[in-house]
Amino acid sequence: MNYNPVTALAIFGILSVFLFLIFRPEKGGFWKWKKTSKDGGKTLIEDILKQMFHMEESGKIADIHMLRDTLKVNEGKLVYIISRMAANDLLNIERDRLILTKSGKEYALSIIRTHRLWEKYLAEKTGYDQREWHQRAEQMEHLLSREETENLAEKLGNPIYDPHGDPIPTSKGETADFNGVSLSRLPKGTKGRIIHLEDEPPHIYEQILKRNITIDSLIRVEENGKNRIVFYSEGEYFTLSPAVAENITVLVIKDDDFKDPGSFRLSRLKDKERAKVVSISKEMRGESRRRLLDLGFVKGTPIRVDLKSPIGNTKAYLVKGTSIALREDQASKILVKKEKI
Amino acid sequence: MEKEPIDKILDLAEDLRWKIGDDFHDELTEGIYADAAEIVGDVTRSENSGGRSRLDTKIDRIVTSKTWGFPIMFLILAIVLWITIVGANYPSSMLSDLFLNTIRPFLKDLAVQINMPWWLSGFLIDGVYMAVAWVIAVMLPPMAIFFPLFTLLEDFGYLPRVAFNLDYLFKKSGAHGKQALTMSMGFGCNAAGVVATRIIDSPRERLIAIITNNFSLCNGRWPTQILIATVFLGAVVPQYLSGIVAVSAVIGIAVLGIAFMFFSSWLLSKTVLKGEVSTFNLELPPYRPPRFWKTIYTSIIDRTLIVLWRAIVFAAPAGAAIWLISNIDVGGQSIAGWMIDFFDPLGFLIGLNGVILLAYIVAIPANEIVIPTILMLTVMVTGVAAGEGAGVMFELDSANETAEILRAGGWTLLTAINLMLFSLLHNPCSTTIYTIYKETQSVKWTSIATLLPLILGFIVTFLVAQIWRIFIG
Repeated sequence: MNYNPVTALAIFGILSVFLFLIFRPEKGGFWKWKKTSKDGGKTLIEDILKQMFHMEESGKIADIHMLRDTLKVNEGKLVYIISRMAANDLLNIERDRLILTKSGKEYALSIIRTHRLWEKYLAEKTGYDQREWHQRAEQMEHLLSREETENLAEKLGNPIYDPHGDPIPTSKGETADFNGVSLSRLPKGTKGRIIHLEDEPPHIYEQILKRNITIDSLIRVEENGKNRIVFYSEGEYFTLSPAVAENITVLVIKDDDFKDPGSFRLSRLKDKERAKVVSISKEMRGESRRRLLDLGFVKGTPIRVDLKSPIGNTKAYLVKGTSIALREDQASKILVKKEKI
Repeated sequence: MEKEPIDKILDLAEDLRWKIGDDFHDELTEGIYADAAEIVGDVTRSENSGGRSRLDTKIDRIVTSKTWGFPIMFLILAIVLWITIVGANYPSSMLSDLFLNTIRPFLKDLAVQINMPWWLSGFLIDGVYMAVAWVIAVMLPPMAIFFPLFTLLEDFGYLPRVAFNLDYLFKKSGAHGKQALTMSMGFGCNAAGVVATRIIDSPRERLIAIITNNFSLCNGRWPTQILIATVFLGAVVPQYLSGIVAVSAVIGIAVLGIAFMFFSSWLLSKTVLKGEVSTFNLELPPYRPPRFWKTIYTSIIDRTLIVLWRAIVFAAPAGAAIWLISNIDVGGQSIAGWMIDFFDPLGFLIGLNGVILLAYIVAIPANEIVIPTILMLTVMVTGVAAGEGAGVMFELDSANETAEILRAGGWTLLTAINLMLFSLLHNPCSTTIYTIYKETQSVKWTSIATLLPLILGFIVTFLVAQIWRIFIG
């Protein structure tokens, strides 16, 4: 057979680049097309409602330009949709200001409810990474019907907070109290518990996750300056930029509630050190939490490092006479305290 | 009237729920656990308080150490495979002697005596019977050796240590550490490996383990690899090196399979099976002497016979199909001939040929019959005098004769290398496909598991063929 292998390779190369561009995860043309083709205006309406609701919550008033910039849609379409929404009594237009009506607010709350419930579901019942929760909930909130949402809530035991610590509105539109303070505004020496990690914008959330800052951890602010904020938590010092600290909410607690700070993360337990389990972090959820309890990771259990994997950070810990292997990120979600000998 | 007090209670309940908060259940459960642990601590006494036996600790320190962990692991795997391959040789040749040289002539005679038409006896004896006999002869002995050995290791407690050693690599590729176990099980049989994924409790990681299990070179494929490596790769180097070269080539292919397993696990967990590992905790149980006879009994009954039965069920129709396509003529050429002509251009493009591709299609039910089918088809196409006629699979005792036939069929070193690659990277056998379907209950995942290795196989052999032709000629 006569053919040129170089040409064959070239054709193969071009073809694979082409397929990559079309099917590349998220950014590929195929997925973009699939996303827009499904949109019948409903998604946009709901996004507008949600955006306006959040703005009103923080005391701002929405207008078309603001919405255009945050939602990234063209103005013509936006104006058309907003007039439709006004006709359906979801919002009032007062000159250039947009204000939600009562039914608009209720609608927005139901979307937020679905969103947060879905995040809770992803956290409790699936193995998706925390970085993915938001994006997936963002799609799901437009797809679930009211009935499905209620079923989901029941299945999850009607949770009050989502995995980031945001309150989930009830089906009647009530929300739990939320009285935390942003970490960036806490003076030196304040003690508190992290109750909320904001998942937007993603690049700041990524920073929070990278530092392995977890919800429900007790902290003590060590330094609060213009350029950096340092706090102590679970045996480590964390240094953050103010922008990142801004997105962490802390519930200030009294000194008495700040339990012995000698506890630290199991991942930092050294060879030959003996410790006792203090608690399992709230970030360890669902099935995996129960499994750990079954294996004997309960308050007061003596624990020590048994073996180290030849590669990586997986370690086996000796608990109740059995060696149990845990990955580093799991071990970091178990709090222990050194045992006095 | 009745409703009011109920409403009040419900309101009160709702109100209290808010006050108690979300963690009420967890705190309660954990309280119970902690109390239970405390009570147990108070009322029981144990010999070595919370510790492990010295011997266990000593063994563990060695088998998970930085220096010895990996060498020991590969050594044990190599020994298991070596015992399997070498040990299976004798029973295999005895079985094939029995099936092919004793029973087959007897059946043939019987067919003549009862005046069975040639096409019926050909169909039944040369087709169906031969395929089934071949599968049993090639498959039964290695499986009857491999699975008990594997189960002994499992019973002894070594396998969880393998998972522990390799965990980092699996973590990096977004998979579960226990996939190490199902992967090694796959070296025996992919269908058994797929069933073994039941030990992985989270569905996402289990799917990854199922889909990538086919990259473990199974018992049905080892003989192909060994034969081709000996005949073609061993022949290009001096005599005294040929053994080593052939062995390293086969091991190289197996290691390449492991690499592909990690790569495709990573690929899957970045695309269709996104997400991180949800739960990973692995108990490293204490070592204990394996219960020898019980293990052997259960592994033969549970694993070997079930898999063998499924393989036979699938092999019978395959034998029939092979015989039919080689014996039914359409327009002066057998169907097999037409199909070979049709597949030749594609085969050439990826450094194989039409015969090999056809053999892989008809041998979907069992990888064991690939080489006999290739030989039979090559003889049919080239007209070399060997074998027993159209549609009758055969194998030769001498490696040199095999090589001659294949060379007459236009084989080069490239064909041999690409066949080894393609044998590693192609769709799972129908037994495995069926098992995957039974385990996942999903057509979608079954098709992905089937097509992913096939596509990779085409890409890899294609690239190797082009690069070979550019640089070597």
